[in-house]
Parts: sequence; C-alpha cells; structure tokens
Amino acid sequence: MSPIYVILIINIIVWTGIFFYLLRTDNEIKKLRKRIERLSSKNIKTGNNQ
Amino acid sequence: MIFLKFLLYVWMVLVLLGAFFYAPLAKGLGEYTRVMYFHVPMAWITTLTFLIGAIYSILYLRKKDIRYDYYSETANQLGLLFALLATITGSIWAKMSWGAFWNWDPRETSIFILLLIYAAYFALRSAIEQQDRKAALSAVYDILAFVTVPFFIFIVPRIYSSLHPDPLINTQGKVTMNGKMQLVFFNSLLAFTMVYFWMLKNKLEVIKLKMKLKQLES
Repeated sequence: MSPIYVILIINIIVWTGIFFYLLRTDNEIKKLRKRIERLSSKNIKTGNNQ
Repeated sequence: MIFLKFLLYVWMVLVLLGAFFYAPLAKGLGEYTRVMYFHVPMAWITTLTFLIGAIYSILYLRKKDIRYDYYSETANQLGLLFALLATITGSIWAKMSWGAFWNWDPRETSIFILLLIYAAYFALRSAIEQQDRKAALSAVYDILAFVTVPFFIFIVPRIYSSLHPDPLINTQGKVTMNGKMQLVFFNSLLAFTMVYFWMLKNKLEVIKLKMKLKQLES
C-alpha cells in the first residue's frame, strides 16, 4: 500500500476518534445538565416546604 | 443538531480526501504541500482563540464577573494547544523542505516566544491563590500578551527575511494559490474552525455547570 494511503487512513482514524470523543462529551454534558436541573428543582421544593 | 455534527464529520473527511487526492502539489514543495492544509488552520485558530481569550479578559475587567475569567482561561488553554500543534506541524514541514526541524527562522522564533508568553500566563495563574486577584492580574496580563500576537505573527516575519513560504495573501494583496488548492484550503480552514468552536462550546458549558453546582452546594 502506498504511504500516502497509510497517512490518509491514520488521519481519518484520528479525526474519527476526536469526533466521537466530542460527541461523548456532548452527551455527558447533557446528562450533567439534567442532573443539576433536577437537583436545583429539588432544592427549591425543600426550600418551599421549610 | 446531531445531524450538523455528522455533516461536520463528513465535511472533514472530504477535506482530508481533497488534501490528499484532489488538490495539486505546489511547485518546489512536492508531497509536503499537504501539510499546509493542517498547519495554516492551526495557526489561524491560535490567533482566533487568543483574541477570544483577550475579549473575555476585557469583559472580566469591565464587569468583574468571575465567569469571564474562567472563559478567558479556557480560550487560552485551547490557544496554547493549537499553538503547539501549529509548531509541531510547522517543524515537520520545515524538516521536509528545509532539512531540519528547527532553524530559528523569524516565524519559528516568533511562535516560540508566543508559546513562552502564554505558558507564563498559566504560571501566573497558578502562582496566585486569591481568586479576585488572580483573575484581575491574569486579565491584564492576557490583554498585554495579546497585543504581542499580531506583532509576532504578522509583523516580525515580514520585517526579516524568512525561509517560510509567502502568506496566503501576499504583499501585493493577491491570492496566488491554484483554484483547486484554494477550494481545499478554505474548506479546511472553515472545518477546523467549526471543530474549534465545538471544543470551546463544550468547555464553556462545563464551566457554567460547575458554577451552577457550586451555587447549589453553597
């Protein structure tokens, strides 16, 4: 295989890795945001009960 | 939104294919021309992110909102990362076309000094414990550091003779690049910029969530 193909494949693999890492980070942020929102609404409720 | 992200993935793959198979090779540079499609976007994003960092520093000094200090730190972290990538891709290119990884060419010297200036920014931040003082001092330092960016990136390399190829827009204000090369180059510039904004958005989002969590805990 020509070295140019090898370099291209390595580039695509690196980009795929970065892309899925960023997608995963997106999902983690979404989950974290939901958890924090739930926590804050819980805090508001307990604050109202007191 | 997820569709746009997958579109970005395909776009970048097309840029890679374009860089390797579509764009012709430049005279005198041969196969090494392809490094240009990665090296120049890295240098462009370095300038852009240091500018964003400086804007957040100005915002911090005006509004005294600690959020802007964190934003500025984040932009500068990415700036340092992209500056390192620009240096690495640049030295690979230098090895291929000039015969050595490092030649102390005006451009290489400039980026080296820039790396030191921004490394000192993080040293300064880690040396001060009191948050307000740290934020105020690093904001002032960041603005002063950014003043040197145009000097080192645009002025110094034009004052001294350099081995570095002419910038894209030459001294006559013209773009002398082949049409196919221009197409791949500008697409590469835009696609990398999009990836950078995605990274920055995620990092800023994490800061916002951390601050919200802190607020809830207190």
